[in-house]
Amino acid sequence: MSEAKTVKILICAMGGEGGGVLMNWIVNAAWRKSYPVQATSVPGVAQRTGATTYYIELLPEAVPPGAVKPVFALIPTAGEVDVLVATEAAEAARAAGNGFISPNRTHLIASTSRVYLMPEKMAMTDGRVDDDELADVMAKSAHKSVLFDANEAAKEAGAIVNAIMLGAVAATGVIGIELDDFIDAITDEGKAVESNIAGLRSGFEIASGQKKTEDQPDNVVALSEAGTQSKFPDSVQPVLDHATKRLADYQNEAYVASYLNRLENFKDRDSDLLEVVAKQLALRMSYEDIIRVAQAKIRAERFERIRNETGANADDIVIVTEFFKPGVAEISDLLPSGLAKSLIAWGEKNNKMDNFGFGMEVKTSTITGFLKLWSLAKLKWWRPKSNRWQVEQANIEDWLELVESASVLNVNFAVEVAELARLIKGYGSTYRRGMRNYSRIVEEYVRPLVAAGAVSGEATEQVRRARDAATSDPDGADLNKILSDIQVPGTIAAE
Amino acid sequence: MERSFHREIEQLRQGDNGKFQGEGILAVTKAILQSGVGYVGGYQGAPVSHLLDVLVQAKDLMAELGVHVEANSNEASAAAMLGASINYPIRGAVTWKSIVGTNVASDALSNLASPGVKGGAMIISGEDTGEGASVIQERTHAFAMKSSLWLLDPRPNLQSMVDMVEHGFQLSEASNTPVILGLRIRACHVQGDFTTKNNQKSPINTIDKADHPAAFEYDRLAHPPATYAQEKKKVEERLPAARKFIVDRQLNEFFDGRYNNLGIILQGGLYNTLVNRLNVLGLGDQFGNSDIPLMVLNVTHPLVPDQITEFCAGKDAVMVLEEGNPEFIEHQIHTMLRKADIQTRVFGKDIFPTGGEYNAEAITKGLVDFLGEVEPLAIDQEALRDKAAQLFNDKAAGQEVMDIALPPRPPGFCTGCPERPVFTAIKMLKEEIGDIHIAADIGCHAFATYAPFSMGNSILGYGMGLASASAVGPMLKKRTISIMGDGGFWHNGLQTGVLSNLFNEGDGLLIIMQNGYASATGQQYIPSSTVGSDTTPMTSEIEQTLKALGVKWLRTVRTYGVSRMLDTLREAMTTEQKGLKVIIADSECMLARQRRIKGENAEKLKRGAEVIVPRFGVDEEICTGDHSCIRLSGCPSLSLADNSDPLRDEPVTQVIDSCVGCGLCGEVAHAAQLCPSFYRAERIQNAGAFTKMMAGFRNGVIGWLAGSERPS
Repeated sequence: MSEAKTVKILICAMGGEGGGVLMNWIVNAAWRKSYPVQATSVPGVAQRTGATTYYIELLPEAVPPGAVKPVFALIPTAGEVDVLVATEAAEAARAAGNGFISPNRTHLIASTSRVYLMPEKMAMTDGRVDDDELADVMAKSAHKSVLFDANEAAKEAGAIVNAIMLGAVAATGVIGIELDDFIDAITDEGKAVESNIAGLRSGFEIASGQKKTEDQPDNVVALSEAGTQSKFPDSVQPVLDHATKRLADYQNEAYVASYLNRLENFKDRDSDLLEVVAKQLALRMSYEDIIRVAQAKIRAERFERIRNETGANADDIVIVTEFFKPGVAEISDLLPSGLAKSLIAWGEKNNKMDNFGFGMEVKTSTITGFLKLWSLAKLKWWRPKSNRWQVEQANIEDWLELVESASVLNVNFAVEVAELARLIKGYGSTYRRGMRNYSRIVEEYVRPLVAAGAVSGEATEQVRRARDAATSDPDGADLNKILSDIQVPGTIAAE
Repeated sequence: MERSFHREIEQLRQGDNGKFQGEGILAVTKAILQSGVGYVGGYQGAPVSHLLDVLVQAKDLMAELGVHVEANSNEASAAAMLGASINYPIRGAVTWKSIVGTNVASDALSNLASPGVKGGAMIISGEDTGEGASVIQERTHAFAMKSSLWLLDPRPNLQSMVDMVEHGFQLSEASNTPVILGLRIRACHVQGDFTTKNNQKSPINTIDKADHPAAFEYDRLAHPPATYAQEKKKVEERLPAARKFIVDRQLNEFFDGRYNNLGIILQGGLYNTLVNRLNVLGLGDQFGNSDIPLMVLNVTHPLVPDQITEFCAGKDAVMVLEEGNPEFIEHQIHTMLRKADIQTRVFGKDIFPTGGEYNAEAITKGLVDFLGEVEPLAIDQEALRDKAAQLFNDKAAGQEVMDIALPPRPPGFCTGCPERPVFTAIKMLKEEIGDIHIAADIGCHAFATYAPFSMGNSILGYGMGLASASAVGPMLKKRTISIMGDGGFWHNGLQTGVLSNLFNEGDGLLIIMQNGYASATGQQYIPSSTVGSDTTPMTSEIEQTLKALGVKWLRTVRTYGVSRMLDTLREAMTTEQKGLKVIIADSECMLARQRRIKGENAEKLKRGAEVIVPRFGVDEEICTGDHSCIRLSGCPSLSLADNSDPLRDEPVTQVIDSCVGCGLCGEVAHAAQLCPSFYRAERIQNAGAFTKMMAGFRNGVIGWLAGSERPS
């Protein structure tokens, strides 16, 4: 009787990715070698995007027809997987959590790329699972592992991800099927032979260490080191560099001067406080309005970027269409105060703030469309005369004063008060919701505390919690709860 | 059905001593042709959809064999089709997803089982239980017992499954009883091989038709007083005949083992998992040799009392491996042993989980408990427990390493799915008018019960959405919304929902998702499907049907038009007009559409014709990272990217390359007044000379203008 051991392969994929293709390649190659093999899966017929698994067992030993065949399992078992393939990092980690990746047995082949889960994507701030934590799980779990960005490798090889993964499976050397066997199987199958074999070879080279994958360049632009504002401490120079360039583009050099002037008060204070205020002040001063959007939409390098996204060749034409729906708020933003106030009053009275607007589709790849935005961008000289400018500048002054008063009482508390400005961002209803949340925290909690002149360490924590709550759900349910739980000084006396 | 099953059909043509390599459910399809069926029917559903999909496409082969194939309108229609085997010696097979399909079919099944069959009648039942299942975890076994249908549960390898199909037809004829072949999900999808035989023609078929209809025989009617006699026949004639056949043909299998004082009785479908565990625990090997004698029930109903008592007699104890709740087999074994006065102890649900899948863990734990109770001297209990513990330790070690709380990844709407915008509109409506009772239904639209939509107060079955809200509406101040797919409408919803609502002067809103296919099960055609560029429906139009039924308030809205959808929803929810309001949310299934367009575009490119491919994008500089757009859509092509703005921490929304340019992002940006970050980019290949010249001129002017704006 045979002494060969059954090899067990588990593929963790997502519906619609074609994990079944990878499974079939392995099964077909095994059949070609007359290995006993069995594979099965639990996908629905057409369900997309959900996590699915494919499971293969094979005996790497040719059996003559009529010989007793091994009885293979249909369900993977914790601790008994020889090769685990995952096309996504979180799914690899999930497999580890189910015990399918064993330190004494499993060859892990996983893509470090992410397909974010819905809760990660829905978060109002950054809800993503930490990549380092996922990497940590994968590093700790496996006997041997090949971890690389399979999507990038596939793009580079001009192949589908599954071909890359198949190459990496061949490189493990534990399933009794060699690279050449897979090449034969793919050639026989006759579908996209060239690109599949290119992917197969590339995956094999990466997994066998013949080819290094480039570390992904971090696409976060680092704060540059160029210091420009000598009277400010070094630690804040990178922020200032970005802030001043941004504000010069947004308005003009005078506006930059006004920024530095506003920051003057915080220059010699706690460095954390200075940095937070410098960041948030720059963001608040470059608030989002139609003019800024137009500025961004007409940048020359933007069209090149979009062309690349579409994969257009030199001969192809690319048409770009923008979607705008300026409503009462956006229009009043640009009007002088008096007119704007009447319009807003009308909008609020008639419930038109959230559901009234002029839907426009502007083709910026046509001359007339481009000119519309170009002219809007040119309107930045008018900005200081607009109602929005008046409102924003007053709000900024108010915020700065509050931060300053708070900083006299407790610097850490002041940092949190400054950070509250993060809530104010976006357009339309997003902006109004953020502003509403900001005002509630300030008026119901921060201002009474500052007025009372006593700020405890606990208060700092409360402000941070209130800020988190404001961004934990769009309905404001969490914020309501936090604010009603917090003991606000003076409220009892006032009742 | 846009997918082609050409390769699969070739496999079905193989003759004697051919080698079939492929999926379990296709092997079963081949087996029914080898058994000489005259007709095949069914209703699609995982995990058995492929059986019918392939045969519907295999028109030539079916014509050659004289097989009549129907894609039935629902499972009741399929079950009733088996009525052909009552009067005629024609074999027939139908298939569906169980338990739900069996529920729908059950009226016809009762009326079929009572008179019994002359020709072999088989139901291929996709047992949608355990991991990956999408329906309620009930047992088909209960139906087999109450209607006296025989239930086959073969070992999950292709040869055993194929053999049981052939035996099953013979069993059906030998006992004049329809049989059910129950196949679990993984057995349907298992890849393996078997040796083929020639396909057989039915003695009566669509080519060699019968000269005369069957003679009138009152005894063959499920109608009193014949039904009383039939009930007696079930027990006194058919059951003994079936048991004799099972014994004579050795349908159940016995495997010897050296621990003769013990035994395991198991459902055939669990054989592989058990053998595997015995091997790991050192109680057997990977070729199926076991230290403990096995009785494998390839037929789980009826049991043969003599076989059971013979297997158990003289043993100290037996273990019953029976997946599902309640434990019908175990109860019967107890009764049989009691009546035969055999004192063998029986272990079953006392050491196994009541419900759920019997996976490696469940069986390992059960085996250890069983052997711990009976303590055979030859087994080193400590060594056994150590080996068993390995599995649980490995699992625990995995859980310890993986300390990240990872949310599940349920299936969801495809990229560009036309149903998504409808739920976007409902979500926006809820923000306007407050919460709404939503009666959900079966179909792709049930994915709206997951984030980011999280909608739906009930799911009562396929096409039952509207009916399930009929007593809710009158109790609430606000109207209810019921969801139904076009598949669900034709399957059941037309009668159960719409007619009942109209007849009872109901109110409320029904949204019918008209995407042109039974999409969730693999884009099968339905009566309202249109094929290719032909816009006439195959059978009937939903809108015309509703009008004919008497629906007064009826709107057809293109799903991607979110603003219009929202306005229409608002009107339906607030209008003074009483009575049922129906919105037909109309747009083709994107998966099917993309499959078609891909081919069309490739063909156009080949002959140099213009091809326009749209996609969406987000301007990173304008996106502030609030992700409202994702909360209103949840499209898989809407993802996140690190924010390259050093002053911001929140990741920005990013449209990844899978975008198909459905237009929803633009519609949402408009309808919800979200933000101006989104843009649509259309790539035009093979543009005409004039278009190209204009584009060149535009680019020149725009480049000059844009250059002037570049920061110095």
